[in-house]
This record gives sequence, C-alpha cells and structure tokens, in this order.
Amino acid sequence: MKPNITNPHLDEDIKSKSRYLIAFVFILLGILTLRLFVMQIINGSYYEGLSRNNRIRIISVPAPRGKIFDRDGVVVADNRPAFNVMVLPEDISDPKNISMRLAPLLDKPASEILQAILKGKSKPYDPLVVARDITFNQVAKVEMEVFNLPGVSIETIPEREYLFGSLGCHALGYIGEISKRQLEEKEGQDYAPGDLIGKSGIELVSEGTLRGTKGKRVFEVDARGQRVRVLDEKEPIPGHDVKLTLDQDLQAIARQGLGDKAGAVVAMAPSTGEVLVMESTPGFDPSIFAVSMLPQQWKDIIGDPMHPLENRAMRGAYPPGSVFKIVVTLAGFHAGILDPNARVFCPGHFNLGRVVFKCWKPEGHGSVDLVEGIVRSCDVYFYTLGRALGIDAIAEVGFRLGLGARTGIVLPDESPGLMPTKAWKRKRFGQPWHPGEHVIAAIGQGYTLVTPIQMAKAMSAVVNGGRLYTPRIIAADKPVLERDLGIPGRQIDLIKAGLKGVVEDAHGTAHSLWDKEISMGGKTGTAQVARGYVSKLPDESDIPYKLRDHAWFFGFSPVEKPEIVVVALVEHGGHGGAVSGPIVRDVIKGYYLLKEGMREQVRQDN
Amino acid sequence: MSRYAKITETLDWGILLTTVFLMAIGLLCVYSSTSGTGSGIFFKQLLWICIGTVFLVVAFAVDYRNLMYSAWPLYGAVVVVLVLVLIIGREISGARRWLIFGPFRMQPSELAKVFVIIWMAYWAEKKKHIIIHGMRELFFPALVILVPVTLILLQPDLGTAGIVSFIAAAMFLMLGIRRSTLLTLGSLFLAGLPFLWFSLKDYQRLRIFTFLDPSRDPLGSGYHAIQSKIAVGSGGLIGKGFLQGTQTQLKFLPEHHTDFIFSVVAEEWGFLGSGLLIFLYMMLITKIITVGLKAKDRFGALLCFGIAAYFTLHVFINISMAVGIFPVVGVPLPFISYGGSFMVINLICIGIALNVAWRRFIF
Repeated sequence: MKPNITNPHLDEDIKSKSRYLIAFVFILLGILTLRLFVMQIINGSYYEGLSRNNRIRIISVPAPRGKIFDRDGVVVADNRPAFNVMVLPEDISDPKNISMRLAPLLDKPASEILQAILKGKSKPYDPLVVARDITFNQVAKVEMEVFNLPGVSIETIPEREYLFGSLGCHALGYIGEISKRQLEEKEGQDYAPGDLIGKSGIELVSEGTLRGTKGKRVFEVDARGQRVRVLDEKEPIPGHDVKLTLDQDLQAIARQGLGDKAGAVVAMAPSTGEVLVMESTPGFDPSIFAVSMLPQQWKDIIGDPMHPLENRAMRGAYPPGSVFKIVVTLAGFHAGILDPNARVFCPGHFNLGRVVFKCWKPEGHGSVDLVEGIVRSCDVYFYTLGRALGIDAIAEVGFRLGLGARTGIVLPDESPGLMPTKAWKRKRFGQPWHPGEHVIAAIGQGYTLVTPIQMAKAMSAVVNGGRLYTPRIIAADKPVLERDLGIPGRQIDLIKAGLKGVVEDAHGTAHSLWDKEISMGGKTGTAQVARGYVSKLPDESDIPYKLRDHAWFFGFSPVEKPEIVVVALVEHGGHGGAVSGPIVRDVIKGYYLLKEGMREQVRQDN
Repeated sequence: MSRYAKITETLDWGILLTTVFLMAIGLLCVYSSTSGTGSGIFFKQLLWICIGTVFLVVAFAVDYRNLMYSAWPLYGAVVVVLVLVLIIGREISGARRWLIFGPFRMQPSELAKVFVIIWMAYWAEKKKHIIIHGMRELFFPALVILVPVTLILLQPDLGTAGIVSFIAAAMFLMLGIRRSTLLTLGSLFLAGLPFLWFSLKDYQRLRIFTFLDPSRDPLGSGYHAIQSKIAVGSGGLIGKGFLQGTQTQLKFLPEHHTDFIFSVVAEEWGFLGSGLLIFLYMMLITKIITVGLKAKDRFGALLCFGIAAYFTLHVFINISMAVGIFPVVGVPLPFISYGGSFMVINLICIGIALNVAWRRFIF
C-alpha cells in the first residue's frame, strides 16, 4: 500500500496560499501559450513569409589596423587594400557551374574553388574567401562577370603590409588568423573565426590599441542571391596608431652589421630606457603570416636550424663573457673590498690549489690596477677579485642591475637569463658551489646567462651614474625608473675611465674601433661555448661553428654624458672586439649622423 | 532494508520523467542549433547532463534536512564568491560576472539563486511559530537577502538580481505577510523605480528602449528580437522539422544555443512542440509545488516553493524574450539551453525536490 501522509505540522495557511502560487504559474505560462498561439497559428503564415523571404545578409567589415611608426614617424607597418573574392554558399545554387566560370578569371583550378564552396555549405551564411589578394587585372575581369555570378562578390580588405620586410620583425611581430585558444580568451570582444590578430611582438601587446572596431554591412539579396540594396551600414572604426621608440635607420645599420650571422643588437637611450634598436638575425618576413601561408613556408621557418622566429635580443640568453667584469667591479666596490689602486700581478695564469686558470693572454699582463684590468680585460685581476667576493656577493649586485630577471619591456616571451647563487646551485643540482666556480664566474663564464636587452639595461645604469630604467619600446609610455643604485660618482668615473681605455688606450682590447672623432667607451666579451678550444687552434675558422665563442660588445657614447648604449651579440662569432665591436661602432656613428640631420646619407650608405 | 526497498514506489516519477523528457528535447535543440559548426557543444552538453545527474543523486540521497545546518555556511560562501567576482572576475562587455580558473569557469550569481532559496527555507523553518509577518519580522531576512542582491547588482547583472529578489519575495508571500506591510512595501518599491532606472548602465537602458521599439537598433539587441520572432512565428502548427529551421541555421542569433534556444524549438517543432514544452514545464512546476504541500516540514515545503518559483521565472522570462514580450536579458531556459553550471544547478534543484517528496515517507 502506498502511504499518503500529509504533514500535520504544515500550516493550513501556507496550503491555501499555494493555490495562488499554482494559479500564478498557470497565468504566466498561459500568457506564453496564448502568445505562441497568436504568433504561430494565427500569424504563422505572415512570419513564414518573412522567413522565406528573409534575404537579409550580414557581412562584417574588418577595421583597418592601426599603423606602426618608428620614432621619427616613418611608417613601419601599414595596410594596403587587397581584393578578396568571397562567396556566400547559401546564394550559390550551382557550385559546379560557378567554380567552372570563376576558374579562368582567377587562374585557379575549378576543383579547388568547388572544394572551398562545398566546405562552406555547412555554414551557408558565413561568407568565405575563395581567392585572396587578387591582382587588379583579375578584379576587373571578375567585376565584369559578377552579375552572372550570384553569390560571388569582391570585398576590399585591408591587408597588413610591413614596409621594411624583415627589418625589426621580432619587435614588430606579426598577425595571423586567430587560434581557437585566443578565441576563447578574447570571448566577448567581438572576435570571430578567421579574424586576424596580433601573434607576437608589438602586434600582440598592442592588439587592443591597433585593432579598431569591426563594421557591419547589412544588405538585402534577391531570390538569385544578387545584392539588391544595402539596408544598413556601420562603418568600421580604424585602430589607433602606435609609435615606437625604434629608429628604422639605426635598425638597418645594425642589420647590415650582423649580416648573415645569427645575433642581436640592442641600443638604448641610457637616461630614459628608450630602445632605439632591437634587431635579431636571422629574421623573417612578417607579412607572410597575415595572408594564408603555404604549408611549405611554415615548415621552412619552423624547421630552420637558425630559428629565425626567435628574438635573440630578448629570448637569447648567453654567458656574458668579459663584459661581466663590470658587474664584478661594482660588486667589489659594493662589498667594500676593492681598492682601485691596488695592483695585481698577472703571470698569465691563476692558481687555486692545484687548479690552474689561464688568462686569455698566456704571457700575462704583468702588474695591473683596476683601470688597466678593465682596459686590457685581464682575467687574473678578476679571478683574484671574484675569489675574494664569492658568487653571492657578485649575484647581489647582478640582481640590483636587473640580471637574472626579465627586464620588464612590454614585449612577450622574454627570457629571465640566469644569475646563479650558491642557494640556486644547491636547489638545482643538489651540489655545493665549488671554489673554482667563484673564479670563472668573475669573468662571465659558468652558469651566468644574460640576454642582450638585460645587458643593455644594466650597462645603461652603469654609464648613466646608477639609475636603472626599464627598457621601453612604445613611445607613449613614460620612462620607468626602477631604482637608483646609489653608486658613488668616483666609482662610476673609474669604471668609465676603464671603459674609455678599452677603445682609446693602445693596449685596449677594442682599440681597433678607435675613431678620434667619436668619444666612445665599451667592453669586449668573448663567451666560451666549449672550454679550452680558444687558445689551442690558431685559426678560428678551423673550429666547428657550434663550438665557436659568442662575441659580445657593449659600447656607449659620448663617454662624458652618454646618449646611447649599444650591445651587440654575435652567436658563435669569435672574438667580441673584432666581430661585435664594429657593429656597435657603426650604430653609434649612424646615431650621430642622424642626429646631425644626415638621414639621407645614412640611407644611401645602407 | 525495507526503507530503500520501496524506492521505486515512493520516488516521484512524474518529476523525474518530465525532467528527462525536457533534457532530451534540449539535446535535440542544442544539436540542431550547433550542427555544422563542429564545436562539440552537443557532446559537452551530454557530458554536463551526466555530471549533473551525479549531483542530482547526491542531492537526492542526503537527507534534505541536513541543508538546514548548511544554510548559513552556504550563504557565507556565496557572499564570499560574489565579492571575489567583483575583485578578480573576468570583465566581459562591461560586467564582471565570471570567475575563471583555467578551463573552469563559473557564474557565482547562478549559485546565489539556489542558496537564497535554501536560506529562506531555513529561516522559515526556524521561525515556524510566526504565522503572519509584519515589518519587524521581515527586517532581518530582507537584510540577509539584500546583501547578495546588492553584490549582484554591482556586477552589474540586473536580470539575476531581479530573479533572486523575486524568488525571495514569492517565498515571503507564501509565508504570509500582513496586508498593511504589503501595501507599504509595494509603494516603497514603486517609489524606488526611478532611482533604479538612473542606476542602470547605458547598455541596459538601451535594451529596454529597444524592447519598446525594436526598429531603433536593428543590428543590436533589436535585431535578435526580430529574428527570434520570425523564427518562432514561422514555425506554424507543426514546424519546419528537425534541422530544417531556416532561421536557426541562419547563424544570425549568436546565442541561439543558449539564451535564444526556444526559437529553435518553436521554429523546428511548431506550436505543437512549443506547446508541449510549456505543458511539460507546467507539469514539472505544479508537481514540485504539490511535493512542497505534502512535505513534512516547513523547510521542505519552502524549498519546493522556492524551486518552483525559480523554474517559473526562468521559463517565463526566457520564452517571453524569444516571443518578443520581454526585453532581451541573458536568462537561459532550464534543461534546454546549453550551459554546464546552469544544468548542474537545475538538476540539483530536481534532486532536492525528489528528496523532499521521498522523505515524507520516512520518519
């Protein structure tokens, strides 16, 4: 038996009121039923007519993307009108016929066009592109025939154009078709499949600024799919332009200097953090990503052993080599153990217990003080200092200079590099720090890794008197002073005297760069990839490419009140002073020529 | 255990079968409205139904009276996530409604609806000696309800805030309110309307304007309203058939597998289909109210009334929107619209109703 127990506790009052609740539900749902009856039964044929004749088509109109300018207002990325042939599958009754007739006009096989149209049949109201960026001649031919081709139209679409090709491509980035993941991330921001979106570099980080707002075109078509009239039009709102701090002419000089070698050049204004040059080689042509790319092109780029997509200025982390001696010098001052006048005798090697560390100059430098140590890049001088300091004291100053951390530039995918400490090594390898590692760390070998942009940031702070600025690349951004390192002026003067001597002194490691018209200082760095190779083989070209040293050079000018800091790195380039030094000098020279208004001459030289 | 042996006899099959039937219709419509997009939404919906069923079983199996002890903690949790969504929620077109944790996302205001029902029922049970409520008795619960409502208004999500307050109001009315109090509150509400109007965001006001005159904005929300009306009306008596709805297959309604799914039912299955759908809802809701009447305590009764009010409001607002007698607000259709957390919450509600229905046989 099914028990049916009513609740004796529940007040009668609520019970009686529930009748109202049920009545309320009946009334509400009754209204809906009535409304549906009126709409579907009484007025059904009216709405049916509306739906059958629903010949309204909507096409979204992409907004022209904002332009990108360099610091002088030179257009770097622009839009050019491109003509795309579009079809609306719904309005194509005979796909075979249409594709047969389109084929000769577009110089494309009919089967390919047919395939595209058939693929779109599942979404008949979404216009799809059958031919991208057709020539003006083809436009004319299709336009003549278009009244015979219902459902086919030519749309003018702004296509991204990078006027300098691969120059500055890594900083600029590129745009491409929106991915599934990006679509999900950007939900609610009016992105649709097939839209173009910034994928890397400035195009990615300034997407919101550059993009603009899509427009819409609503028009009526007749039974044959021909456009009868435009019902409504919402003009797209073009995106905002972005001005960069880069100078395209300086970029070109850097690119020319790098030539076909893999490497990077970064130039910064030391007193503001503005990035004047960010060049990485090899590069790529960013415009090929915007148009539908051929699979082979993609394979070529991805499969290239030189990794052209990689921005070495920010992604590439390398042992800093002797440039790091400047950091060690500062660490010596900071720890209060460095007497700049104290002399160290360099016999060409340094003994630590039974281990021998060689100076790069086998015959030795003799007795050197701090300035001479920097000028001649004496390894033994810095081995001695490094051993006295220990890695943690060096790292402390390294961190203060921004090493081992991302510089904070707005561009994506930056490598933090590596500033090792004893604690780091214990955590990473479970091993204590070996005494010999203090020694080699002092000349920028070992675990330490620095990116060119980190180097530019840190060295800018050294030469500008100790103010650490975040590198910035968008002109409208304000300078960001991260910290004032509070380095006494006397110490800066000593370091700068050393850096000046590197170029001007006859014994300087980069004396070959000396030019009496330019006040310039700098520091060479030759980062060993394979230990021991360097001094054994007489001719560099005998060393396998992958084992050759990385060549660093950091330069700044003028020495008194620096306006520009340039860092060049050539992967497996060999000796820093000989390979990277000339690139830095050329950029600095170009900087002065441009400053004097001789832009035309600079351009002709390139 | 004899108490479980009778489960087939004592389970409210009417509620369960109606729910299953509604979900089946929902799946068909989701399939139709997303066919050809290759989005896999159909299978996601199927997955959510499975997940929701697990929740239903739990909500059914655990004695609903336990909910009484969790009324305050649940309430607290909802207030916390509502505050959280204001701080770290993802802002989408001017409103902060979503909390996003990796691939998982939720709309805390959806939870608020159910937890307000539970709290109200709890309060009614605790104060079951009060038969008729005046200002003095209403002050505290009204304050408790106003906290989440205000937080939802701040997002801003006018629709949900309205629904939550409406559910609470319906539950108060069921409990009995003194006539004079009712009059005072009613006039206060009317007096407050102009303030409400000025606190609306531009796009919300725009929606109300467009509702009054759809041709004002044929490309925006007015466009949805027109296209949806054409879809519904053109269904006629028997509809255009499964997957044959021309308006549906026109991908003009961007939310036609969520908020505008009713137009799919109406267009493809005609008046017969949409009428059946409304009939099923009517069945389900009256069944739930009946369960509430037979419940053995005030708590169970009020839970059912609250759930009934919850379903009624969703069904009414959603369908009214599709047939053009209500402004376009984002309110989904229970068991039919695509949406994971919404489906789970609906099935939990059904689980609670079944729970109340079943427990009256157990002492």
